[in-house]
Amino acid sequence: MTHRLSDLSRRQFVERFAKLCLGVRIASSPGLLRAAAPGGKAKSVICLYLRGGISHIDTFDPKPRRPEMAGVKAIKTSADSVQISEWFPRLARQMHHLTLVRSMTSVLGIHELGAYTAHTSYNLTPTIKHPALGSWALKQLGSANAVLPGNILINGSPQHPGSGYMASHLAPLSIVNPAAGLQNAARSTGTSDADFQRRQALAQKLGSHFVQHTPHRDAAAYLKLQQEAAELMKSEDLKVFDIGQETATAQAAYGTHTFGKGCLLARRLVEAGVRFIEVEDDQNWDTHNDQIASMQNMTPSADQTMAALVEDLHQRGLLESTLVMMISEFGRTPQINEATAGRGHHPGVFTWWLAGAGIKRGYVHGQSDEAAQRVADKPVTMPDFNATVALAMGLDLAHVEHSPSGRPFTVADQGKPVMEVFA
Amino acid sequence: MLRSLTAIALSLLAAHGAPAADPPHFEREVLPVLYHHCFSCHSEKQVKPKGGLRLDSAQAIRESETLVPGNPDASELLTRTTLPIMHEDVMPPLKGGAQPLSEAERETLQRWIAAGADFGEWQRFDHRDAPLSGPLAETPLAEITRRIDELVTAHHQRQGTELNSAVSDETFVRRVYLDVIGRIPTLPESERFLADTAQDKRARLIDALLQSPGFSSHFFNWKADQLRLLSQGLPGLPGWLYDDWVKDAIRTGLPYDAFVRGLITASGYLWDNGAVGFYLRDLGMPLDHTSNLTRVFLGTRMECAQCHDHPLQPVTQKDFLQMAAFTAGVSNLASSSGYSEKNVKQWSELKTKLDEMKADKSLRDGLSRTISVMKRLTVDTGKPLRYPDDYAYDKSLRGTPVTPQTLFGDEITGDTVDPRAAFAEWLTSPRNPRFVTNIANRLWKLVMGAALIEPVDSLSTLPQPEHAALVQHLAEAMIRLRFDERRLLAALLNTRLYQSESVRESPPAGQAFDLRGPLLRRLSAEQVWDSMLTLIVPDLDERTSLRRTDDSLLDPERLRRLTRMSADELLQRARDEMTYRERHREFLLRQVEQQKERAAARERGDLAAERALHAAHSKENAAFFSPELQAIKMGGAYYAKETDPRWKHLPHTFVRASETPMPLPLGHFLRQFGQSDRREIDAFNRDPNPTHSLALMNGELTERILAKDSALRQAIAKAPQPPAELIPHIYRAILVRTPSAVEMAQASALISASPSPIEDLIWALLNSPEFLFN
Repeated sequence: MTHRLSDLSRRQFVERFAKLCLGVRIASSPGLLRAAAPGGKAKSVICLYLRGGISHIDTFDPKPRRPEMAGVKAIKTSADSVQISEWFPRLARQMHHLTLVRSMTSVLGIHELGAYTAHTSYNLTPTIKHPALGSWALKQLGSANAVLPGNILINGSPQHPGSGYMASHLAPLSIVNPAAGLQNAARSTGTSDADFQRRQALAQKLGSHFVQHTPHRDAAAYLKLQQEAAELMKSEDLKVFDIGQETATAQAAYGTHTFGKGCLLARRLVEAGVRFIEVEDDQNWDTHNDQIASMQNMTPSADQTMAALVEDLHQRGLLESTLVMMISEFGRTPQINEATAGRGHHPGVFTWWLAGAGIKRGYVHGQSDEAAQRVADKPVTMPDFNATVALAMGLDLAHVEHSPSGRPFTVADQGKPVMEVFA
Repeated sequence: MLRSLTAIALSLLAAHGAPAADPPHFEREVLPVLYHHCFSCHSEKQVKPKGGLRLDSAQAIRESETLVPGNPDASELLTRTTLPIMHEDVMPPLKGGAQPLSEAERETLQRWIAAGADFGEWQRFDHRDAPLSGPLAETPLAEITRRIDELVTAHHQRQGTELNSAVSDETFVRRVYLDVIGRIPTLPESERFLADTAQDKRARLIDALLQSPGFSSHFFNWKADQLRLLSQGLPGLPGWLYDDWVKDAIRTGLPYDAFVRGLITASGYLWDNGAVGFYLRDLGMPLDHTSNLTRVFLGTRMECAQCHDHPLQPVTQKDFLQMAAFTAGVSNLASSSGYSEKNVKQWSELKTKLDEMKADKSLRDGLSRTISVMKRLTVDTGKPLRYPDDYAYDKSLRGTPVTPQTLFGDEITGDTVDPRAAFAEWLTSPRNPRFVTNIANRLWKLVMGAALIEPVDSLSTLPQPEHAALVQHLAEAMIRLRFDERRLLAALLNTRLYQSESVRESPPAGQAFDLRGPLLRRLSAEQVWDSMLTLIVPDLDERTSLRRTDDSLLDPERLRRLTRMSADELLQRARDEMTYRERHREFLLRQVEQQKERAAARERGDLAAERALHAAHSKENAAFFSPELQAIKMGGAYYAKETDPRWKHLPHTFVRASETPMPLPLGHFLRQFGQSDRREIDAFNRDPNPTHSLALMNGELTERILAKDSALRQAIAKAPQPPAELIPHIYRAILVRTPSAVEMAQASALISASPSPIEDLIWALLNSPEFLFN
């Protein structure tokens, strides 16, 4: 027989070990920081994920007159002395709401690895799946809306880490087509309410036999989810998922593409009190080939949508309590590849941004060097950035959660919040 | 302080049953700790090992003064790893994803040193897996199965555990249908099997299923997730021809080694050789291509070393580049964005002619549109891969060509005129330990639910800690069966292990598969979709996609003709297509006008006029294109009308997942249930989500299953009619088992007063978690 600790004693052991051995980390900074921090204003978060690794030099970190720009121009924005690429003219007019973090850096130049750490703050390892930020938020803070799920993923990729080792009800509800909203939320035609009630009761009764002799956690989860889904169907709030209820003007402002619809839906969810919403752009920012043409093709819709979202939240007075963040896996090489006319993966330096909920307005944190090749000042890692967002939400950075096997984890791993970005 | 911590750790361990008194075995227990935590900086692989310290040979360790046998507290090898993680001297430095040693690992080191630090036979770590040696004779399948049974039994004897009990025929038939052909059996299929009284009926069913079209469909999904197949996802190219190549390979039983060689050595146009999709899929990404292929074919993740030495393994950036150098010169990896003799053989002649005739921009653009698809010829350019300009480990190498070399197993020696052929030969050789182990381990996982080595892409040079004999047996079996994947699957499916009750707990992360039975797991998205369709579509496996491309720009026949045209013919063709496009634009504008005319008539309430206009417009449209232009055929793909009476009432989308174009439309059922979007390897997701319940309760598939014309309703219509007697039939049709007495009683009670008892029960069973697991 292999030697094993019982689950409980293992947990006690690890906890004690962690407290003693990792004392430096857990006892000091984050807890104290929390007391003194200006965070806690973000009641909701909208995370915009531009999947594929969006280039930084020809978007949010332009280097005017440098050859690496390949002719793309920088333009002035509504924030003093902040310039961005000409491909984002609408967002430029909202720049006075944003903080650009131009000194993001990582060592992960692979989509899967970059995406994983961007979402979880931990590196991908074979032995455990970590929860994404939204599950942490939901677990620690709950949601302002009792019926709607507090964590929602719009057009997310199947590789989203979800709730990781945390319980499956903390995983994001997945909306795979924002135009259709929450699909299948209405009874099918020909099924009366009485039919539905009867069948659901029968399904719960008969389904419980399987669950009773199946300890696999997903078996019970499915039975429970069904009950929750049936509750959800009755909710008055379901109309929140219907962007068709928005005026034609609002729909047009966000745009008719999937990302636009997703962001409009996200704004409606914020109004309903949903804690964390992630919207993935369905365009592929992995521009290995033909950088200029690809970006000309993709940036107009992204620009329109992100600008509309920030402006709309501001006009509705929601930007005070909503944090918007834009993330990606990495940046792209400042040099254009001669053979493919595209840019390769570049984790050394890149730009993410955030806005709202007490974040500085019209601010740039950190900088890259003259060729946008490396960090020149104030490096920020993905865990640092996520710690900042967590702090803005009022999460306890020092709070230790245990995986089912007793391993201790914190919301942003060892990330240190970037205090300078708070107003 | 630290020593007392170690003491606490040890006393705590001791309190829960002292570890075996034997000191840890170096190769089995200590070496893996050094490999994972130390070798990425301290081995012969680094140009300059950190601090000049190497830990990959016994002599080097002894001479390093980091080890004092018998005295753990004086051995830096241990004490540096037990420092607090913020300490500047802690080993390994916690950067770039490096992990501190776990308490168990420290304890292993501690006990090994305390007991005198015996290296045993070990002298040095061989960073290259030794090649497998000796030819292996073909072996009968039954022999391979028997040996697996023996090894599993031996495992349980050693562990003091045992196999789960043997499964019933009911459990077996559902399981084997799902695992081999990716769907539940139909009611007649399961009944036929259950009624069979022959002794060897399981073995015969296994064979029959492996030879059926359903297997090709299911196995295709499995390969498609690894190869990231996107039938509609190669921009401007008929990507489905790559899918078709893979499907043909499966259907015809192309041995696995030949399959991989076919991919690696593929050359030509996609419409002449679908296997070149292997390169087109990674257009412009030569390094990612290497990461992908080592992960899928060698079970080895090297992607960290694309940009720098691997932080957790002794794999250097140089190792990576040397592997990539075999294929990096293939045209479509480092893609040329222009035309040349290399990709369009008529190019120089075309260029001369355009210059001679002083062609204007519109003709040049038009020609480019016509021939652009021909740019994607897959050939070896002979262009070497070069060390990057920021290569950090040896500045003298920057910008110089990388010499191709393999990372493990045999080295490739001599002149490699055709580096891809040499690489393919090495990669797929029965002497390549990782190639053989990888496929055996993956096939095992496909049917057992958990691999012997997890994750499947974590093969390494280390000795296998668990199931070593079993892994070796399977790897050898793959060779003895001459890389016939069907036969290896048959060997696995016939084992007692496979035919035991499943392990129903959530698998504990990081622990080895305990061989009690196959692991219970949620069905894949494709299995859920295909199983639900089984209840709707008669003879589902025979129904193929109705998507047609014969009239389209990407019709393979058209493309073949194009590539064979002379320069003059291409120019003429380009002009014709320009004329066609112009005319087509006029056609579309005219369509808008026609609609307006008809709408106006409709609004006037003049239905007769609308009908007349309709007829007139149809006539006009039929004659809009001249016969010459009509012959050009530059449409898109379309769906043919269903003519088979079995399926006429069904949407064309009701085909097996493997026949469904990828990427999927937003909101598709398969996507909701977590089918991989095929942007990354095996990027599927099987976690529960409330949207799954919504789809099963209210979705179109459930509605279709409840409808009277569904395959399920048709099948049970033949059964006795009183609802109470129907209950067992419905259970057998959906969950493929007989209900228990309790279930019978509950179901009868609940449906007795119902106006729709049959629908109620079908609905309830589709919505039972049981339907989603295997």
